[in-house]
Amino acid sequence: MKINTWFGTLETDRVGEILESKLFSKDIRKLALHSLSLRESRSNLPPEGFDLKAAAIKCGFAESPAEYYFLLHEVTLEAAKLQVSSAITPDQRIIQAVEALDDINETTNALSERLSEWYGGYFPESELGGEDLALFIVKYGSRENVSSEDPLYLKARNSMGAKLEPADEALLKGFAESVLSLYERRQQIEAYIENSMEQVAPNLKHIAGPMLGARLISLAGSLEKLAEFPSSTIQVIGASKALFKHLRARAPSPKHGIIYSHPLVNTAPWWLRGKVARAVASKLSLAARIDFYSGEKDPSLMEKLEAKVLQIRTLNPRPPQKKQESGVKLKKRRRK
Amino acid sequence: MPEVKKLSDGIFEVVKDKKQLATKNLDPGKAVYREKLIPVQGTEYRTWDPRRSKLGAMVLKKFNINLKENSKVLYLGAASGTTVSHVSDIVSEGAVYAVEFAPRSMRDLIRLASRRKNIHPILADAGKPDSYSHLVEPVDLIFQDVAQPNQAEIATRNAIRFLKRDGYLLLSIKARSIDTAANPKEVFKAEVKKLEQAFEPGFEILNAKDLKPYHEDHLGVLAKLR
Repeated sequence: MKINTWFGTLETDRVGEILESKLFSKDIRKLALHSLSLRESRSNLPPEGFDLKAAAIKCGFAESPAEYYFLLHEVTLEAAKLQVSSAITPDQRIIQAVEALDDINETTNALSERLSEWYGGYFPESELGGEDLALFIVKYGSRENVSSEDPLYLKARNSMGAKLEPADEALLKGFAESVLSLYERRQQIEAYIENSMEQVAPNLKHIAGPMLGARLISLAGSLEKLAEFPSSTIQVIGASKALFKHLRARAPSPKHGIIYSHPLVNTAPWWLRGKVARAVASKLSLAARIDFYSGEKDPSLMEKLEAKVLQIRTLNPRPPQKKQESGVKLKKRRRK
Repeated sequence: MPEVKKLSDGIFEVVKDKKQLATKNLDPGKAVYREKLIPVQGTEYRTWDPRRSKLGAMVLKKFNINLKENSKVLYLGAASGTTVSHVSDIVSEGAVYAVEFAPRSMRDLIRLASRRKNIHPILADAGKPDSYSHLVEPVDLIFQDVAQPNQAEIATRNAIRFLKRDGYLLLSIKARSIDTAANPKEVFKAEVKKLEQAFEPGFEILNAKDLKPYHEDHLGVLAKLR
């Protein structure tokens, strides 16, 4: 019987005695690559309970258990390192970018608000916020520096705000620069996601748009997992709280998760949302599968989806009638 | 001077301010996950938080974990290696085969393993023991903490392949990863039954206890192959 091990190929007889052995050289890298190549092998596996260490010592690969473990340790470590470094696939990069974007959004909003609160003491009438305010502060600092061509000139001159001391001005300017650079970073990441989505998942991007598509990949964990999900799962990704409430108690099932941000879903009238969400989810799932398994772009998918949504809209032009007995039920409320 | 009491091979109770579970640090001076290091007469102990480790909770729940200095352990679901590091302390002269499927966790595990020579990291799916059968020798203990719905099957397949005749299986069952909606007690009952009967040759359950208050809705199980 032939047996593949990480240190060599063995030939054994029926009772497990080693007849012959072909041992590999003790080159850690080669051994690691060989070990990885054996992962998918379905033949020549060691039999149940086969003592690899004893065999390795017997056929002379290792002189002692200590040497065996030393080599095994180095090889498994090297193999794991190789696997980890190849685990960063393009869809993983998109996921990192999406998560970074969420962090940046959160931080930017918090810092922007702080800036507006802080600078508000010196120029409350500006009515600027977010990126505009940061730009304004970086440009002028104190409101005294606003040029006469600026539309805010009059407001700045007559402002009830306090006088901005030079030390505070320097601080606020620096702070505004940081906020501004976060806004720039946000644009850069969005452009990156858009670009990567076109390469990694063109169909998904076409149906969902780059951000929703990237978020779906992120929540699923990878494009592969998203492609394996049934479309009913895709429909409620991001609504896990509502879904589990539905499964545990008597809550209604969620109609949509993050696909709510899809324009076809959030512009649908309330009585069609569930139907449209289902149609969108089914095409998203198709798109993810085409992207993962073939990678070719199929423009007809979007047309089919739009036709389907149109059909749903024409078949259900009016909201359904509220059920008659609902009034009766209210009276019969269960006592707790 | 902290007082040290031996609970079983390699596992101690160190009393400093309060009673704490601990193992002897195999990598002195270095903490793995910001646990406390307590030196006592030239030996350094690492505290072991039962709330962060199901194995630690099982020790406090009086499970006999059957580990000795030279034991070989197959650890399925090694994650970032917090518990693995304590197993590595306990089997200082043995070996821990640490199987983990997520590359992200493996990154931390590799860092740990590169400092501890008795940890052999394996990035693989614990549900496919064939994919690492060319690496793993027969072991004295399989510890499994995988939070998968088919954990009984995973345990059986690995036990048949790698567990010595007199070896043990220690298993942590997370009710929520099997059925989010069902009552945990019912889930535990069904899972224990599955371990006993669903797959040939089945396990003999030696001990099964809820891991409260350290872990919610977790059952610890000690078993051996029939």
